[in-house]
Amino acid sequence: MQLKISHWLFLCLLVAIFLVPAQVRLVHAQTTQQTPVPQQTPVTEDQINVIARELWCPLCSGVRLDACELKACDQMRQEIGLKLAAGDDLEAIKTYFVAQYGPQVLGEPPRAGFNWLAWILPFVVLLAGALFLVMRGRKLLFVKPGPTALPTVGPTVASNQDEPYVRRLEEELKRYD
Amino acid sequence: MIFDVGYLILVTALLLAVFGVIAGFWGGRQRHPSLVDSSFHAVYAVAALVLLAASILWYGLLTDKFQVNYVWNHSEKALPTFYKFSALWGGQAGSLLFWTLILSVYSVIVATMFRRKQLGQMPFVNAVLLITSGFFLTLLVFAENPFKQSGFLPPDGQGLNPLLQNYWMVIHPVMLYTGYVGLAVPFAFAMGALFSKNLGNQWVRTVRRWTLIPWVFLGAGILMGSQWAYMELGWGGYWAWDPVENASFLPWLTATAFLHSIIIQERRGILKVWNVALIACTYFLVILGTFTTRSGIIESVHSFARSSVGIYFLVFLSISIITFLWLLFDRLPLLRSENEIDSVSSRESAFLVNNWLFTGLAFSTLWGTFFPMFSEILTGRRISVNAPWFNKVNGPLFLLLLLMMGVGPLLGWRRTSAEVMRKQFTWPVLGAVLFAGIFAYFSPRLYPTIGLSVCVLVIGTIIQEFVRGVIARRAVTNENPVAALFSLTRRNGQRYGGYIVHLAIVMIGVAVIGNTFYQSTTNVNLRKDQSVSLAGYTLTFTGLESEHTSNRTEFSAHVAVFGPKGQSLGTVSPGRNIYDKTPDQPTSEVGLRMSPGDDIYVVLNGWQDDGSSATFTIFINPLTVWMWIGGIVLVLGTLICIWPNPARKEERMPAQAGALADTAA
Repeated sequence: MQLKISHWLFLCLLVAIFLVPAQVRLVHAQTTQQTPVPQQTPVTEDQINVIARELWCPLCSGVRLDACELKACDQMRQEIGLKLAAGDDLEAIKTYFVAQYGPQVLGEPPRAGFNWLAWILPFVVLLAGALFLVMRGRKLLFVKPGPTALPTVGPTVASNQDEPYVRRLEEELKRYD
Repeated sequence: MIFDVGYLILVTALLLAVFGVIAGFWGGRQRHPSLVDSSFHAVYAVAALVLLAASILWYGLLTDKFQVNYVWNHSEKALPTFYKFSALWGGQAGSLLFWTLILSVYSVIVATMFRRKQLGQMPFVNAVLLITSGFFLTLLVFAENPFKQSGFLPPDGQGLNPLLQNYWMVIHPVMLYTGYVGLAVPFAFAMGALFSKNLGNQWVRTVRRWTLIPWVFLGAGILMGSQWAYMELGWGGYWAWDPVENASFLPWLTATAFLHSIIIQERRGILKVWNVALIACTYFLVILGTFTTRSGIIESVHSFARSSVGIYFLVFLSISIITFLWLLFDRLPLLRSENEIDSVSSRESAFLVNNWLFTGLAFSTLWGTFFPMFSEILTGRRISVNAPWFNKVNGPLFLLLLLMMGVGPLLGWRRTSAEVMRKQFTWPVLGAVLFAGIFAYFSPRLYPTIGLSVCVLVIGTIIQEFVRGVIARRAVTNENPVAALFSLTRRNGQRYGGYIVHLAIVMIGVAVIGNTFYQSTTNVNLRKDQSVSLAGYTLTFTGLESEHTSNRTEFSAHVAVFGPKGQSLGTVSPGRNIYDKTPDQPTSEVGLRMSPGDDIYVVLNGWQDDGSSATFTIFINPLTVWMWIGGIVLVLGTLICIWPNPARKEERMPAQAGALADTAA
């Protein structure tokens, strides 16, 4: 089956029709999720863990706050409960913990100062790699054969003095001819 | 006494490795048969001595010789024999010895298989492998002696880290090390080719299988580590972008890029410099990974100063990189390409994009792993780079890679016409678009929709390739479809095994998407016979029991699981182990019910003393089981790739159906 350009356009339109409402619903869902937690008493463990999953243990390496079993992290979760009960939202709680324990609790470098480098460099390198491939890759990686032809047999053989070794080597090379 | 002998054996092995290196280089350069033979003999002798040293340490561990510091630190009388055996790789000195042992085994296999082959480069290959063994023996002799003794016999040992007392932790390091260390072999062949100036495609043909073997071990090892994290750490996930995980993942990424790019060198004679550089990068990442995990530099720059091995690694790595670069630049004229890339819409270009993405991923993973260290050095402030950063930076790259997995195999070598592209892409793209529409309607989330649609596209291309291959084969041989499929796969193992590996990666991708975007969780305290509902399931706590084993008390809760219609789905038993020696470090044993749709994953957090109530964290993890199924398929696919091709041995009468499929396309 062959498709003409008009068919492809139709398919793209079809995708857009399906995806746009999906995206609208997604944005709506996210907006709903980001609504500040209403004041309620008591705050449930699940509400605490929703916030704790966005934070990281300041003492362990790479352990999420909701999964950390240290006493210090237990106290941090209790603090989250108190903050939620007081009506604080995720961002306010994050700001509070960063002030208390430093940016380590975020699990990612803050987008400020030197730490911008963490975010930018991978994409700069990728872009540089892409440019390299497009602009100069053909020259640097795919050089045409030069005027000097490749030696068909390694130079080691030419000056060989040792007959048994040469025989074995030549046999070996023949096997690959 | 025997442990003093053990140390002397390591010293002798080091001296022999140095001799073997000199014999290999000198013999290879002068083409001196006796010296070349000596390099082979040195490989065998070093391996025998390292095996002997490891056996002595195993003897110490199995017979509780606590006067040896290593045994005292990593074992105890009550430790089950199984874990006494695995304690060899449970600590620093032992794991370095284990590293050396595995490398020695690889070196012996290579030396035996190539005893009468490729003699132009084998002395250099032996020498490079012995340099690596010699470096690790240097660490064992001068910095981390596993046979160091305290001078008195303590009554009992400290015990093995509780987290390591798990069967996955016994097999996972073995698999991982077998993969990790094995990547030294293709590097040794690349260096052998550079030293001997035999820089045609021969070394590439040789190392393809020697890269695939450690590659599949490394991949399986990484997945087993993920399985361990999933089962033991109790946070509902399997991968945390931890520096130790990244250390194993980095060489896997570059080795995967290498496995793809050598195909182009074999087919078109291009990318020769790139391939040598890529396998060298893989080797350096192996050494760097061992360095980062052994020196503690990632946790803190200060622990580097305290580390006994850090400086050795740094010096070895620097010398290795400088030597390689010198050699590479010296041999550049011999690495000229034989062809150019003809068209952007060609398989060569797709492979280039694949390599660009893999190396980009390796760079970003390396950068993220080391950034906290740079930040601490330059700003004096510790920051953490964890999963959120890696997911944001690497996530899109993985998606592009997945897409390339669908696009690349459909492009022809040299150039693909618009007509052929239409023919190749119509059905897979239609399938993906249709899936996207239906899925987005029922689950309106952008990223999973895109991710899963790309997975469908890749599956579509794989199915299409198999169908075309079978049709082409049947046209020639008139076999039934099953026989045609079997012989097609058997006779074109590299190609169709590769597709099966791609299918495995798609399965893993599906599991990642399911676990990341559709996980449900709750944290509850349940009284006995009380229930909780989550994602359509109902879980009832039915009781708690405990049992004391040799070195720990095991507490198990029983939770009955019921499906959406109230049907019983069995019982899961999350538990906690409290170790006699380290009661403050309990380990978690997840209660798990796996199914193709989702995992019911229950963690026991705590309980009242009489067991009348207990606290649980419950996760419903959709599609996660496909990660482990994908792991098995990955191994199967790689085996098909590695398996010798019978068609090469027979006459080439039956037309290669794979080639026909290409022509048909």
